[in-house]
Amino acid sequence: MNKTDELVGVAEEVALVAPAGHQGRRVTGRPLPVVIVTTVGSVAVLSLTGVGWLNQPAVAAWRTVCLAITLQALPFLLLGTVLSGAINAFVPADLFTRILPRRPALAVPVAGVAGVVLPGCECASVPVASSLIRRGVTPSAAFAFLLSAPAINPIVLTATAVAFPGNPAMVAARLLASLVTAAAMGWLWLWLGREEWLRPSVRHTGHRSGHSRRREFRLGFQHDFLHAGGFLVLGAMAAATFNVAVPRSVLDTFSGSPWLSVLFLAALAVLLAVCSEADAFVAASLTGFSPTARLVFMVVGPMVDLKLIALQAGTFGRSFAVRFSTATTLVAVAAGVLIGGALL
Amino acid sequence: MKRHAQVLLLVLTGLGLLHAALFSDLCLRYVKEGLRPLLIASGVLLLLLGLAGAALDRTAPEADAHAHGHDHSTAPRIAWLLFLPALSLLLYAPPALGAYTASHANNKAVPKEQRFDPLPATVPLPMTLTDFTARVQQDGAQAIKGRSIRMTGFVTPVGQGGGWYLTRIIFTCCAADSQSVKVRMYGTSVLPANTWVAVTGTWHPEGRLGTKSATAALDVHRTERISPPVNAYTDDLPITPS
Repeated sequence: MNKTDELVGVAEEVALVAPAGHQGRRVTGRPLPVVIVTTVGSVAVLSLTGVGWLNQPAVAAWRTVCLAITLQALPFLLLGTVLSGAINAFVPADLFTRILPRRPALAVPVAGVAGVVLPGCECASVPVASSLIRRGVTPSAAFAFLLSAPAINPIVLTATAVAFPGNPAMVAARLLASLVTAAAMGWLWLWLGREEWLRPSVRHTGHRSGHSRRREFRLGFQHDFLHAGGFLVLGAMAAATFNVAVPRSVLDTFSGSPWLSVLFLAALAVLLAVCSEADAFVAASLTGFSPTARLVFMVVGPMVDLKLIALQAGTFGRSFAVRFSTATTLVAVAAGVLIGGALL
Repeated sequence: MKRHAQVLLLVLTGLGLLHAALFSDLCLRYVKEGLRPLLIASGVLLLLLGLAGAALDRTAPEADAHAHGHDHSTAPRIAWLLFLPALSLLLYAPPALGAYTASHANNKAVPKEQRFDPLPATVPLPMTLTDFTARVQQDGAQAIKGRSIRMTGFVTPVGQGGGWYLTRIIFTCCAADSQSVKVRMYGTSVLPANTWVAVTGTWHPEGRLGTKSATAALDVHRTERISPPVNAYTDDLPITPS
């Protein structure tokens, strides 16, 4: 229960991971003395202050929400890691380049529509997109897939239809706005994106002769899971903080103005990090807001949120995650407003 | 992160998931019942992965690492954070969301009913908080007037004024998207927050019954403490006393 100590360490860790990978150096484990000092220190702090503060209503709610986000995402993160490991170890390198259209500008919308096949929430799509890039898929197409998969899969669309009964236009608008955003971001990457924003992968790619495929798969899987899992916990902590700290009465302040309400719900989607299978129900409960603002909430949520930014920073590097999330938010808000204005 | 720490982390996370989903009902405090099979599968997978690592990676990890200049036997330091949920599940699991969240959360939108069936003749009539709210605010026939209603939930004190709400917290996916249903209680003293109770009473006349102006509130005749349900995140009918 050494949360405070860990939180202090987090900033330093995030800062360290990127440069260490950049130089191709090994990121070595924390030396044993540090571990012992941290453990003894946190035990001492806990025995001095008691565990009472952990049961303060706000702290207990924070721990519950943090654990809930982690538990909810963990199976999907594992699924994504298994898929990514399998793609890496068993799929022939040229398979994707043969399937996808040769011209990147055409590959982007195809990859976006292909997002339908990955059922689950957004945590699964980050490792899969990363392994696609390592297998030679053009990054723009992989990013279109990354953005569309959690937003347009059948589970999410069904949930949307259930949450907005008698309102099929909302489902159509969500599907369309998400696809448009994913494709636009793919094309934007083709136009402006630069390879050096992506962290050079220290991973070897694909199967190497002379190594056991199964062993490669297992070790790669373990490495990817531990890496992404750490960032997931970090994202869950940030999201839980906002989830517990932002009182819902703030909502009513913004629901009056059409423009502010759109921007406010977009920000809320980023901060709350609600799973894409559930965000339609949250949107349905925001009754004071216009349908367009609620659509923006559902378009932004699966593509950008705190836990996703943390996961992307871990997988692709920080300089990428910051630029990509900012651009995606802007494009998603624009697509939501335009399509919401036309359809709703 | 060294190899033995990774093994420990994988095994602890696996055990934590199994403890929460297979050997107890802990996971219901955080996620839906439907996720349980996936959590159990994840727990087994992580446990096997950790054990496989402990058993198989003993032999010459160094030679393998040098072969391609990249070492899978160390993991990034951010992975240390995964110890928090694992240990939290095993040693000190936080409680289900309660009054603190309910007093901050937004109220669940009560669905619009097309038509209302006649109420059963049972006395007292068991109802969910959502049904009660819908009846009070939407049923033009005012079937609920004068009826004795029985509902269960936990206590959320009202800010300053005293008084309390009977409350249920409901979520769709995990505790991060929780919404609450609240019914105001009149005529009893405030109980401590988060106490689970069954109340019996009649609608508290305020506003015009069957329209939006009516408040979801109850004049309580009888309150009894009950034990918290295993799955607290539902709006269930109270079990009728036999």
